Amino acid sequence: MNHAGNLLRRSTFALVLSVLLAARLFPAVGCDLNDPDRDVKRLFPGATSYKTLYVSVTEKGGAPLLRRIEARLGDRFKGLYETADVPYTLYLVYKSKNLIGYIHGVNQKGRYGGLQVFLALDLQGNIRSFYFQKLTSQYAKLLRDPSFGRQFEGLNLKDFNAYDVTTGASREGGRVAAIRNPAPQAEDDFRAALRAVKKNLILVDEFLLGNQYLKDGAQP
Amino acid sequence: MRQKISVYQVAAKNLLRKKNRSALTVLGIGLSAWVLLSLLGFNRGYEAALNKDIDNMGFQVLVAAKGCPYEAATLMLKGGTGLRYMNESVIRDILRHPEVEKVTPMLMQAVFDPNKGESGGLSAYLGVDPATFPALKSYLKFKQGAWFTDTRSHEAVLGYEAAELEQREVGDLLLIPEKNIELKVVGILARSGTQDDGTIFVPLRMLQKEFGQEGRVTGIGIKVDRRADITALENRLYDLPDVQVVSMAQVKETIMSLVSTAKVMVLSIALIAILIAMLGVVNTILMSVIERTQEIGIVKSMGAMPWDVFRMIWTETVILCLLGGGVGIGLSAALSKVTDVLIRRLLPYTPTGSLVAIDSGLALLTLVVILGIGLVSGVYPAWRAARVRPLESIRSEGE
Repeated sequence: MNHAGNLLRRSTFALVLSVLLAARLFPAVGCDLNDPDRDVKRLFPGATSYKTLYVSVTEKGGAPLLRRIEARLGDRFKGLYETADVPYTLYLVYKSKNLIGYIHGVNQKGRYGGLQVFLALDLQGNIRSFYFQKLTSQYAKLLRDPSFGRQFEGLNLKDFNAYDVTTGASREGGRVAAIRNPAPQAEDDFRAALRAVKKNLILVDEFLLGNQYLKDGAQP
Repeated sequence: MRQKISVYQVAAKNLLRKKNRSALTVLGIGLSAWVLLSLLGFNRGYEAALNKDIDNMGFQVLVAAKGCPYEAATLMLKGGTGLRYMNESVIRDILRHPEVEKVTPMLMQAVFDPNKGESGGLSAYLGVDPATFPALKSYLKFKQGAWFTDTRSHEAVLGYEAAELEQREVGDLLLIPEKNIELKVVGILARSGTQDDGTIFVPLRMLQKEFGQEGRVTGIGIKVDRRADITALENRLYDLPDVQVVSMAQVKETIMSLVSTAKVMVLSIALIAILIAMLGVVNTILMSVIERTQEIGIVKSMGAMPWDVFRMIWTETVILCLLGGGVGIGLSAALSKVTDVLIRRLLPYTPTGSLVAIDSGLALLTLVVILGIGLVSGVYPAWRAARVRPLESIRSEGE
């Protein structure tokens, strides 16, 4: 009898869960991998599975969190689409049962269209790989060249804390200052990409790493 | 003091004696009621959503270059790229018909954007005439800015979803890849819930010039006088050379015939679910009757007539079905969004708006159907209970 009772309780729970999930199906536009099964394998060749988390600033901490993220970014969330209710899709990547890294992408306004900047990160928040999932630019070929993405490998939020997203200035001798723009004519998109990376790293730190880089006193 | 016990109380108490069995039976009936009501809701909702999409087109007839009619339907409803051209001078011929109230020429062009996604993709642009198109699409409202005023300007108006994807606002630039043409965004439409949300509108003449299609269009939308006979007009438009006429009625008919296959599939599943639920009811009540044979015998020896026993057992069935029907209606209402998503994955074309329209009328109809099936299912167990012979059943207890 208890077994049947438990079964009923579980069924009810599953139904309620489905209703709650259904309500999450149509939020503001987020940034998902085009083909998660393929992309996770490409970014983490040893991966055996992944989990997907959907988090928004509104859900996670509301206005105070938004203010903190903006302070860490050194810029306000702007425009019609960079809002606190944007759902961020975080991919937690596993090898067997062990968590081996994260993948996260953000939308960023570029000169001619939306950029989608994805980072694959290790468990400490160091960048393993960088790539544009979406980019509209006359110089897209140069910006999408793997040699540009390789300049980001090994960097983390500590490096990007020294980068000012509003002026594009970076600390002399810093690792971000060493990143070369392969298309000087597309300076807007280059700076948009750097802003997207910094924002991406801050969100991962807030949502997944327990503000590791904030505790370290790594703020500018 | 004597207290009269009603047949409903006895039936309810009997069901509560085997709570889990009763609950599982209610759940089974509930699931079949859910499938049935969702199917009925889909039947109504899909057609309503399709009608709304068609109304939102702003015109009732589309004239396109001769070709596959399905391409034209796709062009109209999905903003696809059925790139067949016709001469713009056709507009003059169309306007000669007195039933024609307004016309608007359109040119759809697409370019391959190698930087769209991982392996590139198509970007489509709809060239429209700012003098005629907005009047036919009066339901479109702006979130920012307004329509372009010059039909040759390098400007663009974006549907809300297109703007959101491209992160564009009024004053921003937009690039037509391949051609490297810069456009200035002058308007962002508010969400309309139609295919226009994902469309990039540009001035017709500019698009014709930049793509080398001067004097050519891919479609002409026609708004017909409300009192006019659309079928008669369509027949006359067929006389125009090298064009095909697609009316919204045709489009609707084509899509509905495609969907009818899916409907038959879902109806079959619903019938199987109802059959299983019916067997579940028969099983539950029959088991209950067999377990209570002696008890029924005692009730009869105390003066209960066969009809009283029949009614008592039948009432149990009715209670189970009412509860199951209620659960099913609740599930349908709560999970209508999930059903909507599942249907969208299943069907090749789905209109915008809600596909599952459940209202109190359909809910009541479902309850009546479930109750009817329950009453039929309860006849045999109730009849068997009514036939129990008191002496034999009491004697079997002693043995």
